[in-house]
Parts: sequence; structure tokens; C-alpha cells
Amino acid sequence: MNVLIIDPDDARAASVAEGIRADHAGQDPSITIQPRFELRMLRDIDPDMVIIACESPDRDMLEALQVANESVPRPVVMFVDRSDANSTAKAVEAGVAAYIVDGFNPKRMSSVLTVAAQRFAMMQSLRNDLNKARADLAARKTIDRAKGILMKSRGLSEDEAYKLLRKHAMDTGRPIHAVAADILAVSDLLSPGGE
Amino acid sequence: MDVKIAYSPLNDAALLLVAEALGFYDSEGLNVTLSREANWSTIRDKLAYGLVDAAHILAPMPFAAALGQGPSMGRIIAPIALGANGNSVLVSAALKARLEENGHPARSLTGSARLLAREVDRRRKSGEGRLVFAIPFTYSPHHFVLRHWVASAGLDPERQIQWVVVPPSRMADMIKDGVVDGFCSGSPWPQTAQLKGRGEILFSDPDYWSLKPEKVLGVRSAWAEENPDAVIALVRALLRAGQWASRPGNHQDLVRILARRAYVGAPAEAIALALSEHGSGLVLDPETATYPWISHAKWFLGQMVKWGWLTAEHDFDQLARHIYRPDLWRIAASSLGLNCPIALEKEEGGHAQPWSLPAQPHDIAMPPNVLFDGGVFKCA
Repeated sequence: MNVLIIDPDDARAASVAEGIRADHAGQDPSITIQPRFELRMLRDIDPDMVIIACESPDRDMLEALQVANESVPRPVVMFVDRSDANSTAKAVEAGVAAYIVDGFNPKRMSSVLTVAAQRFAMMQSLRNDLNKARADLAARKTIDRAKGILMKSRGLSEDEAYKLLRKHAMDTGRPIHAVAADILAVSDLLSPGGE
Repeated sequence: MDVKIAYSPLNDAALLLVAEALGFYDSEGLNVTLSREANWSTIRDKLAYGLVDAAHILAPMPFAAALGQGPSMGRIIAPIALGANGNSVLVSAALKARLEENGHPARSLTGSARLLAREVDRRRKSGEGRLVFAIPFTYSPHHFVLRHWVASAGLDPERQIQWVVVPPSRMADMIKDGVVDGFCSGSPWPQTAQLKGRGEILFSDPDYWSLKPEKVLGVRSAWAEENPDAVIALVRALLRAGQWASRPGNHQDLVRILARRAYVGAPAEAIALALSEHGSGLVLDPETATYPWISHAKWFLGQMVKWGWLTAEHDFDQLARHIYRPDLWRIAASSLGLNCPIALEKEEGGHAQPWSLPAQPHDIAMPPNVLFDGGVFKCA
């Protein structure tokens, strides 16, 4: 089995490759990872299956080969067997599509695509967690700075400053970090010597 | 009502983007989530698998898919066109210079096609390879425009030109590397390439056809049947976006909205160039450029037959009416007090001057509607 993975995200592509190797350990799959698709790869690598990230603009290039394959030695076609519509749908939802050469074993194709979809979904969930952690950290810093301003300008303790922020957030129905951000914005306007 | 809509980052997604930026979806009671997609194949698949409810699509896509050309996209209806025109053709500086050796390639397409034919002949005699032209998708208006242009000088587009599908984001580099000699793409990619010195724009959509159909809103038929009110609300939001976007006073704001990173995300200079008077001719006016004419659908089907992708043994009239839905456009437009064309089909081409289109309650003042070769397309 010879698989070409096209993904601008190398970490994700490596994770897909690792998943395929683990699943098809006995068959010693040959896997090539490229950030972009070039026509010559079909000749040089001669893949049975191409896995491509939906976020790669190159997907339309690969797709077009089923229509006009005069300049490529080996037509790659999209797998559209309805019996496997489910794995294809899950893959598109996770952000990955697959192309296979004629005659490639549909069961094997389905298992590879399922692994790819799982790895894509896993990476997305890791990224979401990371983004959320970053946002949480940024929000905490904003809240700390707003507390500091309230403590200084109104002579409050840290606890009182936080309670004031929280009360205002509840009264206005907005997140506490948004209230804190407003205080920072206004305090920048009011701070003396701004000119 | 939640609605998921996919789009490709191009100027001609303007109605979808403006409707979000100015809150027209909200005021129509729709909670729209837009998703920006990197290629047409993924947009097609997301429609096919119900991952989105509607999408900005190339007008020929649902016809090609319905006729078994390529993978399925499920049953799709098009209740509104997303404007007219918007594409440009750019050629490499080397090809431009070759064309100029034989005369001045004015904006007349018949003239530039003749110069192109001479260059094709010269290359053949000197044993050079075929010219390579890039398009963004096989079933695209871009492909039809280039083929028609090439064929107008007697060239055989099938044998004498090499066609490649390339994402617009890579076209400029391929021109620079000499891999392709020219490309047709939606704005602002040709303008971005020209500003970077990667070739020159030879002509734009209006030079080919003054009011050329291009993208439509493709809606999943199953979703539309379950949510008939939401479909009308969605078309209303887009018509309102069209009213806003076609007002000259809003031009600068339109450029700013499109240039946002989350939207088209291209340099404002390229977007503004494409939307300028001698740009790509994008028309967003609801009454003149968003009605889904059955005659447009048939023109696209006719192109697919003309280039040998389809045999004529299909019920094209029925197919056109299943996909294009001027009846839904009319419900939405009349509720906004817009004038609605009476006919479902019209002759395409043949109006060199502005003309009056019979409509209710008032006739619509139409801009010229001419094809470069003077052809008139009549629905049989």
C-alpha cells in the first residue's frame, strides 16, 4: 500500500501517517507526506491512495484529474461508493478527503480514511483546547489588571475589586473579562499625561 | 433559525459577506454561520453530506453533478444568482509580448483570439509545446469563457490548448515559473497577480459577455423543503445586501468589508482594482443581476454539450427548472418591493444598448447584454 498525504499542517500529517502505520503494521505501508500537491508526484510516488486536507486549495487540482487525465500516468479517482458514504461523510466533517486508484480495495480504503478522519478530529480538538487555554490565560491577565486599577483608584482590597467586577458582569449580563477589558480601555483614556 | 453557508474567498461572495457584516441575516431572523472553504470540491462534498445548508457555488456545478459528471452533490436548488461577472483572464508577460508582435491585443476578444491563433501556429511550426491555460475547476464559467474565446479564432480548444486545473492562490506563481501561460480566475486573484508583476490582464468578463452569469447560491433541496420560510428569508437577506452593495456611495465600505481577513482576505488595493470601472465588471444589483434565469441554466447546459461533456439526450428544460428557482426569487423580491421579471427565460445577447425588461410592478432598466462574437442564445 502506497499512500500520499497532502496536508499543509505537518504535525497533523505525521499523526495520520502514524495512525496508518499502526493500523496496517503487517503490510508495511509506504507513506509520503507533502504540504502541496504537484502533478509529478503521481509519477514519482505512484500512490494507490491520496489523502488530502480539505483546507488545501490543491484539492481541486487532484479532483480534475478524473476528468482530464491525459498528462498523468495513473488516474486517481474519488471514492464515491455509497456503501461507504458514512466514512466519507465523517472524513469531510473532520476536514479530510481521499482519492484512490481504480481497483484499490474498498475495505482498506475505508479503514485508512477512518484513521485519517480520527486523527484530523483529534488534532482539531487539541487545537481547540489550546486556543481555549490561551484565551483563558489572556482573560485572567485582563481581569488581574482591571482589579489592580480598581484597587488603586478606589482603595479596594483585591477581593473587593473582584467582587465589584463580578457584580457588574452579572448586572450587565456580560462575561467578567469583557467588563475588565472595558475598564482597561477607559483607564487608558483617563490616565494623565497620555498626550 | 440556524443556517450554515460555505463560500470561497472571492469578491463575488460579496452578497453573502455583506449580509453578515451589515446584519441582514439577523434582521431576517436567521442565525447564519459562514464557513470559508479552500476549494470547490469540499464545498460540493459539504452540500452533499449536509454539513452545510447552502453555499456560494459555480453556476455549472449542480448541473454537472446532476448529470453524473463527477461525484454527487445531492439535490441542489438555486433560488438566487450572486451577481454577474467578476472574472478576469491574465496572461504572462512573455505571451503578451508574443501576441503584440502580431498586432495590438485590444480588449476586443475576436481580435486577441486571432493573435493567439497566430502564436499557436508559430509554436506548432517551431516545435514548441502547447500553450497552457489554467482554470479553477473543470465545470466552471471560466472554462467555458476561455474555450469560447479560443475557438472564436478557429482553434480547437480540445487539441490545441493544454488545460490545467489549479487553485487561484497558486496561479500567479505558476505564471512566474512559466508553468502556465495564462489563467482565468475570479477577482481579486488576477488583480493581485498583476499588482505583483506576474503578468497582465488581457480581458475581463464584461469584454466576453456584458452581463455574464457566474455564481449562484446553491441550497440543499432537502433543507429547502423542510424550511421554506428560511429559504425566502435567506434570499431576502441577500437581495438587501445587493441593494446596499450596488449603491455607489457604499463602494469604499464594500471594499473594506471584502478585504477583512476573515472574508476575502486579499489586499484592499487588488479588491478595489477589481471593483473599479475597468475592473472585472462585478454587478451586484438585485434586479439586473441576481434573478436565476432559466435561460442562463440552459446556456450552461448548452456549453457542456458544445464541449462534448454531455450528449444532448437529456431533458434539459426539466433539469434547468428543477435547479434554478426564479419562483422563490420572486416571492422574496416582491416582498421587498423589488420589480420582478415576468418571463423565466430571455434571449441572451443581442442588446448592445440599455433596454427595458418587462417586469412587475414596473419594467426594469437593463444594462446592455451582448456577447463578444455578437451571438444570441435562444432557448429552443
